[in-house]
Amino acid sequence: MLGPGVVWYLGVAAFLFGIGALGVLVRRNPLIVLLSLEIMLNGANLALIVFSRHVRGGAGQIFALSVMAVAASEVCVGLGLVVALHRRRLALDVDRLSELRG
Amino acid sequence: MIHAPHVDWFALSTVLALLGASGVALLGAVLVPRPAQRAFAATVAALGFTGGIVASVWLYVASASGHRVVANAFYRDRWTALAQAIVCAVGLATTLLSVEHMPGWSRDADRSRRDDHVAEFFALLLASAAGMAFFVGAANLMTLFLSLEWLSIALYVMCAIDYDREGSLEAGLKYLVVGSFGSATLLFGSALVYGATGSIGFPEIAHAVSARGLSHDVLLVLGLALVIAGLAFKSSAAPFHMWTPDVYQGAPTPVTAFMSSATKVAALVLALRVLATAFPQEARLWTWAFAGIAVASLTIGNLAALVQRDVKRILAYSSISHAGFVLIGLSAGTALGGRALMYYLIPYAAMAFGSFAVVAARERELGVPVTLDTIAGFGWERPFLGVAMWFFLFGLAGLPLTGGFVGKFYVLAAAYDHGWAWLVIVGVLATLVSLYYYLGIVRAMYMRPSDELRVGAAVAGGSPPREALLHVSVGLALAVAVGSLFAVEPLVDLARHAASSLPF
Repeated sequence: MLGPGVVWYLGVAAFLFGIGALGVLVRRNPLIVLLSLEIMLNGANLALIVFSRHVRGGAGQIFALSVMAVAASEVCVGLGLVVALHRRRLALDVDRLSELRG
Repeated sequence: MIHAPHVDWFALSTVLALLGASGVALLGAVLVPRPAQRAFAATVAALGFTGGIVASVWLYVASASGHRVVANAFYRDRWTALAQAIVCAVGLATTLLSVEHMPGWSRDADRSRRDDHVAEFFALLLASAAGMAFFVGAANLMTLFLSLEWLSIALYVMCAIDYDREGSLEAGLKYLVVGSFGSATLLFGSALVYGATGSIGFPEIAHAVSARGLSHDVLLVLGLALVIAGLAFKSSAAPFHMWTPDVYQGAPTPVTAFMSSATKVAALVLALRVLATAFPQEARLWTWAFAGIAVASLTIGNLAALVQRDVKRILAYSSISHAGFVLIGLSAGTALGGRALMYYLIPYAAMAFGSFAVVAARERELGVPVTLDTIAGFGWERPFLGVAMWFFLFGLAGLPLTGGFVGKFYVLAAAYDHGWAWLVIVGVLATLVSLYYYLGIVRAMYMRPSDELRVGAAVAGGSPPREALLHVSVGLALAVAVGSLFAVEPLVDLARHAASSLPF
């Protein structure tokens, strides 16, 4: 088989997933957090597609397609919430979302 | 002609009943005139959940021998059917509670906005319950992920639906971020498991592992760890519980009641299914992992609850510690553990729902968050709700007033049977600690209200609202909680038949 092996693809997938996870944990703007969540899901998608080629079955690719649809609907709800928060006050900073604590 | 898989519509009937009702409720939001929307949507929701209960009971009776349907994507067996029945029953009780209480007490003052989005709320409730009914029967990693998101996305919106309160929006966004993080973790784990075994169906994964000797494969073990973490996020077990107190406190209380009972039932029931059917060769690994998660949940849940003042936060931490108890049953990894898990969830769902329903009544009456200070005197003012709360809290603590006692006894017996006496000791210690904060709420309810509180209540509108349906839902929860103590044997039989669908 020509081209890089499955490990390289998997490395990129894991790297994407890691970037996304780091972004969710350290960034404070909810928009960036939503973006990072998308990157996590896409890292997982890449892994699914790679493995689908690797094991020569179609299931992984179908799985990845449906994950894209799910990711889109999730981000829809997320953006809706961000807009609703934005309407109530201007500061978009998850560290200041601290009415709930105890 | 397209070659389509055979669809066993009967196996999907619970899901379809709920989804159909959700569609009708959503149409009602557009077509039904505004003053009638609340009654219309609530009626549709009640009918949908009743239909779901009938369908799942029927399915339970007619599925003695479990098998997979619809291209091997969904389990038709008693484990699925019993979990579906519990979810639908909780949904019905939530509907009764929500009729007067949703979309939130912050809009009580403004009559013109009181009915905003009420039909959409019931549509979301039904859709989320349909997702749970599908989730508990998922038979491959793809249906597992899709139905997890199906139920979660509806819940995110439900948490934020009382958008006049910042707390509700904040809870919605927090739940969305942390919930999606958990789902993404689960998805990446699923991808690794798929890569290691080449299949996504649960029994096929187990088959590939045993046929190709993969049980120490790095990809598989890593994937399993990520799947476990993703499931622990959903069942709000420590150390993946950080979102739980904030979300439970901020979400509208009927939504919290639904989440703390139905979501937890679905996540825990499915967790045992995945682990038992897809990863039997790794049993040593996941029993230890879940024993650790159970100990962490019991410790963190109970200790953090001791210092809280907000009643919803206390109950949220209590729900974390109960996830720990159920996971003790799960970590036994035996048929007895499965039976114990299923039995435990019946009284637990009733008590968790009921306690939040009582909090909802107090919250609406005063129009402020319920803390140990503002709940003072509640037991004298509303005797029925006070006594019910008394039963729920003592039941959650594990005193022999409700089925919670038998459930705790049963999961600890499963752990002991597995040879884990130390886990039994942790469970008993956790029960003792939990008595302190449960009794703290009871004590606060029957304390004399302070003077300023009495003035506040009078300003807020004098006599409490009538809330007949809330009383019905609390009464139902009370009947199930107490009834499960007296009907131990039939319920254990149900759980045993259900657990026999799992390959132990």
